[in-house]
Amino acid sequence: MHIKYFAWIKDITLCDKENLDTNKLKTTNDLKIYLINKYPDLKKHIDNDTFRFAINQEYIFTIKQIYKNDEIAMFPPVSGG
Amino acid sequence: MIKIQKEDFNIDNEIEVIKSLHSSIGAVTSFIGYVRDMNNNKKVNSIKLEVYKKMAFEELTKIIVKANEKWTLIDCLIIHRHGYLEVNDKIVLVTCFSKHRNDSFESCNYIMNYLKKDAPFWKKEYYNNESEWL
Repeated sequence: MHIKYFAWIKDITLCDKENLDTNKLKTTNDLKIYLINKYPDLKKHIDNDTFRFAINQEYIFTIKQIYKNDEIAMFPPVSGG
Repeated sequence: MIKIQKEDFNIDNEIEVIKSLHSSIGAVTSFIGYVRDMNNNKKVNSIKLEVYKKMAFEELTKIIVKANEKWTLIDCLIIHRHGYLEVNDKIVLVTCFSKHRNDSFESCNYIMNYLKKDAPFWKKEYYNNESEWL
């Protein structure tokens, strides 16, 4: 699974993308737990639902299954326009 | 038509390209967003606009489809820039083309509101001695 980070999230992860082992990550909830363990500074933002998640360029609003070839994006509220 | 690009654009030319294709167009409404020199009481020198390009195309396409379901439109144009921009630079252009004015007025506002809420772009502002993601 491929995960992409945007805007100030990259200041925490220190990278804009990475490949994750999907064997242990079955759902977006598993992914959030994994990311909090790997990047503790993300915890308060994930707990507060600050971030938006997208799977294969589609916003998700509930817990979803994730698969090997998925592209997952995690980003803060948008501010374009 | 959707364009996500670093380059500046000429508003008149962009509108004329589409207008010239449709003699049925009687109304054109545009919104143009610019980089302001002040925000939150801080003097802005420049901004960086980051985009998740693949998803931005998807989201902007959805916005146009939804606008077409609500209003009778002949065409829509969205140009959104990314990269480093200076004060006074154009950020975004939304132009709606229709037969009658209400369709273009209302759809243009709708598209901008949707864009501000859901299109995956992020601004970082640069001030004299600091910078901040919005």
